[in-house]
Amino acid sequence: MQKCIRNLIVAASLALLFGCAATGENTEEQTGVQPDATAQPELAGQPGQEVYSYPYGQAPSGYESYDFYDTTGGAIAAVQPGAAPGQTAGAGAVSADRIVYFDYDSAQIRTDSRPIIEANARAMVGNPRIITQLEGHTDERGSSEYNIALGERRANSVRQFMIVMGVSPQQIRVVSYGKERPAAFGSDERSYALNRRVEIVY
Amino acid sequence: MNRFFQLIALLVLYCVGLAQAQQTIDITKGIEDRGIPIAIAPFGGGAPEDIAGIIAANLKRTGQFVPRPSGAPADYAVAGQARPGGSRGWVVQFQLTGAQGAPLLNLSFDAPPNQLRPVAQRISDLIYEKITGQRGLAGTRIAFVGRGGGFWFLVVADADGQNSQIILRSTQPIMSPAWSPDGSRLAYVSFEGRRSQIVVQDVYTGARRTVSAAPGINGAPSWSPNGQRLAFALSRDGNPEIYALDLATQAPPVRLTNNSAIDTEPVWMPDGGIVFTSDRGGSPQLYRIGPGGGVPQRLTFQGDYNARPTVSPDGRHIAMMHRRGGRFHIAVLDLATRQFRVLTPGGTDESPSFAPNGAMIVYSTGQRLAAVSVDGGMKQDIAIRGSARDPAWAPFSR
Repeated sequence: MQKCIRNLIVAASLALLFGCAATGENTEEQTGVQPDATAQPELAGQPGQEVYSYPYGQAPSGYESYDFYDTTGGAIAAVQPGAAPGQTAGAGAVSADRIVYFDYDSAQIRTDSRPIIEANARAMVGNPRIITQLEGHTDERGSSEYNIALGERRANSVRQFMIVMGVSPQQIRVVSYGKERPAAFGSDERSYALNRRVEIVY
Repeated sequence: MNRFFQLIALLVLYCVGLAQAQQTIDITKGIEDRGIPIAIAPFGGGAPEDIAGIIAANLKRTGQFVPRPSGAPADYAVAGQARPGGSRGWVVQFQLTGAQGAPLLNLSFDAPPNQLRPVAQRISDLIYEKITGQRGLAGTRIAFVGRGGGFWFLVVADADGQNSQIILRSTQPIMSPAWSPDGSRLAYVSFEGRRSQIVVQDVYTGARRTVSAAPGINGAPSWSPNGQRLAFALSRDGNPEIYALDLATQAPPVRLTNNSAIDTEPVWMPDGGIVFTSDRGGSPQLYRIGPGGGVPQRLTFQGDYNARPTVSPDGRHIAMMHRRGGRFHIAVLDLATRQFRVLTPGGTDESPSFAPNGAMIVYSTGQRLAAVSVDGGMKQDIAIRGSARDPAWAPFSR
């Protein structure tokens, strides 16, 4: 019941938001936009609605006329304003002590990564209420779905290491983004090395 | 002595080739000006669309025609006009003539002014079909994933890249769109809620349904030929395996593979079998299982990386990502002759998808879309402003 009320409030405030918007966005409701019907209550609490779907031909604007703040290309447009291609985008703003890097085509934990995993594992053992999400990533080379599988292998390596350190499996969630969320947008060895990683997200 | 070793090496290579009974052909250069010459006269009548220009561009794009100005020597000629009138605002009329001016087509269309472009696409396809006996692609669409401004978009555009319509906008990644066989729905991977799930979206209503949200990977959806089942990859049992889900019954998905390696990217064959990517042999390669599963049969032996299969509508060709010398190409395997052809010069080519007539393959070069004919003779970029990845060519509309 509480969840229901909370969802209603979210829906009402969203409706208000779009009702007041002076842009073309407010046409969404008249054109039959489907607010995410599959939203999962336990995952609510994300800032703002993540997903909007539109019947074909009824989105507020075509893709090519969409008002990106940079339309020179997807990779550049996705970088934070002011950042040059190749720089870290800071997508999740995860600090360096929560990032585990990997060698090319490998899910082996490197010796230099152990202290990072160990420090996080100790914190989790000390506080069983901490739930982490291990997010696996790859560099841009290769098929996107195969890279999803490689990213999961990396996240599972970190998970296994944490479980050996005494962390409860119930405290760990694993997701792989493959090459979909690069930390660096360059197509060079330096960017590749920054992208082959697992982020430990609390 | 040196020469002797070279000879041995060649012999070994030859024997390896024979053992695999597959032949590799490199077709990475386009063949210019190959095709049937067809003269296209400008359409008179002052229409707001350049109908003759659209027809010429569409026929050129097929790789099977060389459009010429009217009066130039050609095997076929197109002439027509678009003038105000009729019940809907404009009347578009055209004739296709063959050798010695023999009439082949003579048709007219009533259209409102905003439908002149679709009429030009229709005329292009009618001409193509009359001359080649194959269905044309000008009236078809391509779905793709766009990225920009902190969003991921699912977009449906015309096959020439024009008229791109957003059908989904998300702050989380979207991947691997796949059309239902009737062209009314798209299945894709969404990371909303910071976890993967497979969603089926009705293209014309925008209604969405999550069909799989298992722990771990929910990836690479593919529709069965009758549209009743979805195959995809799940890692809920520890590592990625291929599953099939009956969309009507909602029964739990049935597992079709069982191996400690990565099994992913299933695509359905017309006969009900499934081709997928697996690294069970040490590197990613394509394998095939029958309609009910069974022991996978390895299909690819060239290079060290073959992945992301797409199957031609007749089931004869499988196109894929193919790596050699550190570069990714689009390649195609002919299942009848076992011939293996590399179609693109390569770089970061990925995500091939067959056109519904089996003549062309659309793919991504990383941030852009391009198309190549299945014989490698025709290549071209599909111009879309903004990034475009993960293309999926829609089936013919009914």
